[in-house]
Amino acid sequence: MKPTGLLFFPAFDWAISPTHPEREERLLYTRDQLFEEGIMDLPGIKEYKPRLAEPIDIAAVHFSVPDLDAHLLEAHFVAAGSTLVIADAFMKGEIKNGFAIIRPPGHHAMSVTHGNRGFCNINNEAIMIEYLRYHYGLKKIAVIDTDVHHGDGTQEIYWDDPDVLYISFHQDGRTLYPGSGFVDEAGGPLAYGTTINVPLMPKTTDEGIHYVIDNLVLPLLEEFKPDLVINSAGQDNHYTDPLADMRFTAQGYATLNHKLAPDIAVLEGGYSVETALPYINMGIIMAMAGLDYSNLREPDYARENFKESPRNLELIKRIVEVQLDRFRTRQEEIEKNRRSKGEFFSEYRRIFYDTDYIHEEQQVRLRNCPHCCGFRMIESSAQQRNGKYYRVMCISVPINCCPACREQAISHYQDLTRSSRYDYVYLQDRIERQYRVCQPDLEREDIIK
Amino acid sequence: MLIGIDVGGTFTDGVLFNGRDIVKTIKQPTDNDNLQRVILDVLDDLLAAVPAQASVERIVLSTTLVTNLLATGRGERTALILIPGYGLPHSAYHLSPDTFFLRGAIDFRGREIEALAKDEVISLAKHLIQLGIKRAAVAGKFSNRNRSHEDQVAHLLKQEYPDLEVTLSCDISNRLNFPRRAATTYFTAMVSPEWQHFVNEVEKALQQKGLKAEVHILKADGGTLPLPVSRKYPCETIFSGPAASTMGALALTMDQQNSLVIDVGGTTSDLALLVEGVPLHASKGARLMGQYTHVDAVSVRSIAIGGDSPLTFAEGELKILPERHGPAACFGGETATVTDAFNYRLALNQGDINRSREYLQQIADLANMKLEDLCDSIITQVVTTLTETTREMFKEWENEPAYKVWEIVHRRHFTLDRVVGIGAAAYCIIPRVAESLGVQPFIHRYSDVANALGAAVARPTLSVYLHLDTERSTCAIEPGGVVEKRSDISKFQLEDARKLAVDYLYAMGKARGMDDYLDDYKVFLEEQFNMIRGWSRTGRIFDVGVQIAPGLIQAYQGVEQ
Repeated sequence: MKPTGLLFFPAFDWAISPTHPEREERLLYTRDQLFEEGIMDLPGIKEYKPRLAEPIDIAAVHFSVPDLDAHLLEAHFVAAGSTLVIADAFMKGEIKNGFAIIRPPGHHAMSVTHGNRGFCNINNEAIMIEYLRYHYGLKKIAVIDTDVHHGDGTQEIYWDDPDVLYISFHQDGRTLYPGSGFVDEAGGPLAYGTTINVPLMPKTTDEGIHYVIDNLVLPLLEEFKPDLVINSAGQDNHYTDPLADMRFTAQGYATLNHKLAPDIAVLEGGYSVETALPYINMGIIMAMAGLDYSNLREPDYARENFKESPRNLELIKRIVEVQLDRFRTRQEEIEKNRRSKGEFFSEYRRIFYDTDYIHEEQQVRLRNCPHCCGFRMIESSAQQRNGKYYRVMCISVPINCCPACREQAISHYQDLTRSSRYDYVYLQDRIERQYRVCQPDLEREDIIK
Repeated sequence: MLIGIDVGGTFTDGVLFNGRDIVKTIKQPTDNDNLQRVILDVLDDLLAAVPAQASVERIVLSTTLVTNLLATGRGERTALILIPGYGLPHSAYHLSPDTFFLRGAIDFRGREIEALAKDEVISLAKHLIQLGIKRAAVAGKFSNRNRSHEDQVAHLLKQEYPDLEVTLSCDISNRLNFPRRAATTYFTAMVSPEWQHFVNEVEKALQQKGLKAEVHILKADGGTLPLPVSRKYPCETIFSGPAASTMGALALTMDQQNSLVIDVGGTTSDLALLVEGVPLHASKGARLMGQYTHVDAVSVRSIAIGGDSPLTFAEGELKILPERHGPAACFGGETATVTDAFNYRLALNQGDINRSREYLQQIADLANMKLEDLCDSIITQVVTTLTETTREMFKEWENEPAYKVWEIVHRRHFTLDRVVGIGAAAYCIIPRVAESLGVQPFIHRYSDVANALGAAVARPTLSVYLHLDTERSTCAIEPGGVVEKRSDISKFQLEDARKLAVDYLYAMGKARGMDDYLDDYKVFLEEQFNMIRGWSRTGRIFDVGVQIAPGLIQAYQGVEQ
């Protein structure tokens, strides 16, 4: 039997600020618990060392404005690189599954990056997904986001990609950052139904969450048949998390991972550093390694405190029903959208960066292609934290793009490099893995390697 | 004068060393059933060579006693009493056929989560009396952060069963890793009676001879431990053989280069690394009876090829066999061996080279090969195996987990400077291995007794590890099992924590007679964490480690080449 891969990278020398939830102490007690349990010594566990991600790995997902150095610290390269180590180990068949317990986290980071949102600068899972698709030819990927916050970054990155199924359950956006992830956020016009959101009322317990797993997540995975399942493993649904208000337990997390059987799990949020993280991380590892986790529990756990209210369960059942139906009828909806007029779908949006207090404006255009999911052009402008204002154009050619779309995307890029409308113009060509940055005013073009 | 004795599986080596010269060397077959006899015989032979007016200042023994006791199942029957609390299932701990579990739990900050069930301990004591088990090892999860449960268990057991010998895990090791702590404590309890007996015998013998020399035991980490201190930590003495050869390599080279040390024995070769002149330690601690322990050990890879490994042609394949049939043909043996292949092909003129040719020719005839091709094929096999193992060791070292950004950005990279050959057969084999690794070989005229020399001149080592939690005012120190409340640490900064650790190192080092080396301490671990609750700091956690690393005693100034 192959072992479970474990990459533990607590970044003991990195913090957003000394008292921030993302500080050195975050995984200290998890370290104590894992080391004291001797879990790395077990024959069923293989520990891996992180590596640095390359700029090209990050450019495959992000348009970092103006460049990668502007927002990224070495810690970000290590966290992203860690997911690639686990991805390689999995694809080479060294491990049966893998868990990257890493920080800083990533699921709030969107395609365009002007700074830090929700403690995230770059999206670790998306970087891993694009790496797996390019290097190993994987096609269909499912991301199950089990963080208490809606993973709006991952959702945005794969909003128009029908080959990535993004399912998130989280505390209702009306009561928690980032204020999104509602039932009707279901994906772009050509990728409708492969974004599935399940907002849950505060104080939802193991019972409610497991209802979603059993009756929505598992059936959807069964029908979608992904090549790879990723758990975007936030740990802040826990009943002791200081930033959220749910009632999920370590046993609940362990059982979830047992049922979900993710190929790769990546730590996201979770800020109850003493009373939750040590136990949840143990639970996830044990479940993934196939160990008996019945002897695991929090010091203050008492079963009787975790009963689901019938009213809430009723609500959850209704959401599950709606989402099942949405997923199953998605092709019809996509066909309907394809028949709409105009060559491009267009959308305006505003994005708020809570950590860095930035207001970004975007105009997104998606080509309505009869053959593929189209290519995206994102016009973005924002005043960054240092006071500088940027107006940029980001053109993205997804890996499942048709030749006609790709050709058109490249020709748009070339046209824009000759105009002075934007400070920067970016081309992200995932098919040929070429990532270009142009500063038309300076007549300068860089290729990210 | 200095004496070093290294008990190996087949031979026991001894050296008498003075100034810059090896005065006498002894090689005797090892009698595994009576190790102390062998040691005392070799000691007698060496003492006989001490001139009348000279005296022996230091004797260092490296012995396989503990490893042998455990490997042959001669350790005493010992109850393993675990207080594992919550986490892994009880089925994860299968160390002893007499394992017992107690309720009670402590968390990572040393807080009691669940009290000990006293009645359970009392009925366990009665049960042990019935079973006739006379020794117990007690280990609790996080007892390194709060030893009260282990202490209570010991107290209750002794109350009910006064003759029971109880060993507590927090006294044996204070580091994180409960299964390793449990295993180390269990093995310590099992071998303790035999080890006490051994120490008594050695002390008695020295007294009879009127020797005033300080006596040390070589540890797995390449350092020594005063004989009296070893009574408490017998497991530290395991795997001292590879430690002896590694320290021997250091004693022969005396510099800060990156060396690969290959000890070519009769049937195995042990590979170790000196990184800038310091032996590389196994990251997970020594593995004993299939269990990881808290014993620091030199990282060693053993491969089943040695100078006396016999050659054969069977089932259409040329093979190197793992079991020894006797010495190489050139030294009067009756089979062609690895040494013969190197000897003949490279014209090394070891022993009787004609015998090498004669026995190799027999195999060549069987294999229907030219004699030269046969030798080349063997040489390639040996060199390839050794170089591949070496590369794996480098890679493993470079890929050891790291938990800080700094460590990942500044990647480890190992550049080999040379290959040091140890053991009698090294002379034949090592030059070709070094050539294939693209570095210089290093063979010394005393390479074949480097292990005993290494033991003789290895200095004592000591690691002190400190864990402070200023919010809870707790302080835990290894070694010694100190876990105490301290009111004076609330305002501690990292410098204060470091100073406290250094103070402990000096106090413990002085008690062990290590005064000469204490100023040479190194800080190997330094971590501090601010504890933030709400938005303000409520305390700090410090982890500090200081040590006297393995090295050579000051009196040793090298040996004449």
